[in-house]
Amino acid sequence: MKSPASASWKAPLKFRMPTAENLIPIRLDIEVDGQRYKDAFTWNPYDPDSEVVMFAKRTVKDLKLAPGFLPQIVQSIQSQLATFRSYEGQDMYVGDKIIPIKLDLQVNHTVIRDQFLWDLNNFDSDPEEFARTLCKDLGIEDPEVGPAVAFAIREQLYEIAIQNVTSARENRISKKGRRAAEHFTPSKASGAALDLMKLFSFRSSVVRKRKEWDYYKPVLDLLSNEEVDALEAKEERSGR
Amino acid sequence: MAEKSPVKEAASSESIPISNSNQLKPSPQLPSKFSSQTAPNSEVPSTPTSRPPSADADVVYVPSYSRWFSWDKIDSCESRFLPEFFDGRSASKGPSLYIYYRNSIIKLFRENPSRKITFTDVRKTLVGDVGSIRRVFDFLDHWGLINYSASSALSKPSKDTGSNIKSSDSPSVESPSSAAPTSKHSSNSRRICGACKSLCTIACFVCDKYDSTLCARCYVRGNFRVGLSNADFRRVEITDEAKADWSEKETLLLLEAIMHYGDDWKKVAQHVGGRTDKDCVAHFVKLPFGEEYLGHPLSNDHESGFETNKRMCLTPLADASNPIMAQAAFLSALAGVEIAEAAAQAAVSVLSQVDDITASRVGSGSLERNSKRESEISSNGDTNQNALERAAYADANSLLDKEEQDIERAITGITEVQMKEIQDKFLRFEEMDLQTEKERQQLESMKNLLFIDQLNLSFRRNYT
Repeated sequence: MKSPASASWKAPLKFRMPTAENLIPIRLDIEVDGQRYKDAFTWNPYDPDSEVVMFAKRTVKDLKLAPGFLPQIVQSIQSQLATFRSYEGQDMYVGDKIIPIKLDLQVNHTVIRDQFLWDLNNFDSDPEEFARTLCKDLGIEDPEVGPAVAFAIREQLYEIAIQNVTSARENRISKKGRRAAEHFTPSKASGAALDLMKLFSFRSSVVRKRKEWDYYKPVLDLLSNEEVDALEAKEERSGR
Repeated sequence: MAEKSPVKEAASSESIPISNSNQLKPSPQLPSKFSSQTAPNSEVPSTPTSRPPSADADVVYVPSYSRWFSWDKIDSCESRFLPEFFDGRSASKGPSLYIYYRNSIIKLFRENPSRKITFTDVRKTLVGDVGSIRRVFDFLDHWGLINYSASSALSKPSKDTGSNIKSSDSPSVESPSSAAPTSKHSSNSRRICGACKSLCTIACFVCDKYDSTLCARCYVRGNFRVGLSNADFRRVEITDEAKADWSEKETLLLLEAIMHYGDDWKKVAQHVGGRTDKDCVAHFVKLPFGEEYLGHPLSNDHESGFETNKRMCLTPLADASNPIMAQAAFLSALAGVEIAEAAAQAAVSVLSQVDDITASRVGSGSLERNSKRESEISSNGDTNQNALERAAYADANSLLDKEEQDIERAITGITEVQMKEIQDKFLRFEEMDLQTEKERQQLESMKNLLFIDQLNLSFRRNYT
């Protein structure tokens, strides 16, 4: 049973990723001399700075990229780290929030679409663990899907955490009192959170309604080579 | 995924093929698990220069210094080299995660042992943050559990990305190659950073545990190996080492030159040869006063030293915007250190006496405390600068206290006046009370009289 949102306003915490490990998602999309390098991975912001250069060097060497990629990779990673650090000292409000996380990924030959609920207040949550279990349960053979799933989850959590920080900042700037902040957070919460209160009230049950089953089921597709090529071509066209 | 290919063990520069039955690399303490073939083979002394037989794709070579490896267990050297997984700092980053990473990496490599796997291949397939995956990968690579093929067994394994590894367990091949650089390090007076291979100039940090040297930049950035922490390094200053190694001859030349040329530092520098004029001045100022150098005039040193002191003393206060302070500074500098100090102390004590008198009149304790503080401060005086500052401080304090007193007096006056008002009101009310009481009594008596008259009237009426 959930208590009403206004009574459960929590004191603002320092910004961090709402997961057990404070790891941030890093996305790279660099084009040099006609060669395009797209990548997405998780990074530990507490690693020393030398780590960035080492990682970039190894990536360039392993993937046999042109040496012009090296400074760009380093710069991109460092700027994303700096953005994270700029948020780091600030407060974020965390109200009662269960948010839906959507996955819509295409990794090599596997397409996965899924939607599930994630508790933002659970600072012990582990997207990596979730991704590993998901891949094992669905019997996904391609080992590259796991990291992609974990990354997608982290990215969405990161976005929402940033939104919380900016909403906290706006509250302070507009000098609204405590009351207003309380009202603010539930109203800012996505519609899903409010609906959940109705769901979890004493009148309805916790078991999901049948018609919603389809929304919350993972969908897994294996594509053939032609479909993969077709998708890539479509992406490039839309990119242009 | 069960390991199907048998594993052979290779010593660092030689190789011993050891066949195994579907299980990984035996440790000699568990003979029961493995086929009897392994026991005698592992004890066979290796022929020094035997080359491995032409490797078939099913055989994987593991160097003898990685003998400890097993799929299910974690060896102590693993927990030492990769402490992040074992120190319990984060709940999700535990030994099970480490085993998952390690086993997946090794499995990936063993699927195709003739091909070296790259870090990027690995991190694309593993769920987790790339920093820790990289560390596990480097660890396995270094210990030859992956990317170790027959060809690389011949050549010395390449050095890792730059951190010095000098633990006693480290592969024997590594130690001779790395021992050489350390001896080079200690022999030179110039320090070269182990991580970025640059010359250390100002300060360097030395780790005694593994005998490695890092320049300040690398130390700050944390560019050392994972097993170490900040506390293991101690700071070693280098600034004066290389530059200011003034030999006896040079010092003698310097002093001679100063005797001859006095203040002309360019000529002095010329005379000394090899040192700039600034170096000469700096070194000269640092020289101890004359007793060690025979035949050298004491007075020169003393005076010049004194002069520099005086000059230094004047500058801080001389350009104070307050003209009075500037004059006071100038006068005190002229008068000398002790005189100015005595004057300041006298001024402060007189001030505190004056304050004491007023304090005894009003009776506030804060002034006494203040004067005590002032006298304490003045008794600690060293230089004229400090004494002047203290006098000003005492002035400010006494002014503040006077204001406090005024405020207190005003407040007490106000409260007295209000109390008087209230008392007057009380008196008035009492008077009013008395009067009303009197009136009431009068009214009562009148009522009684009226009643008697009425009675009389009614009696008279009844009788007539």
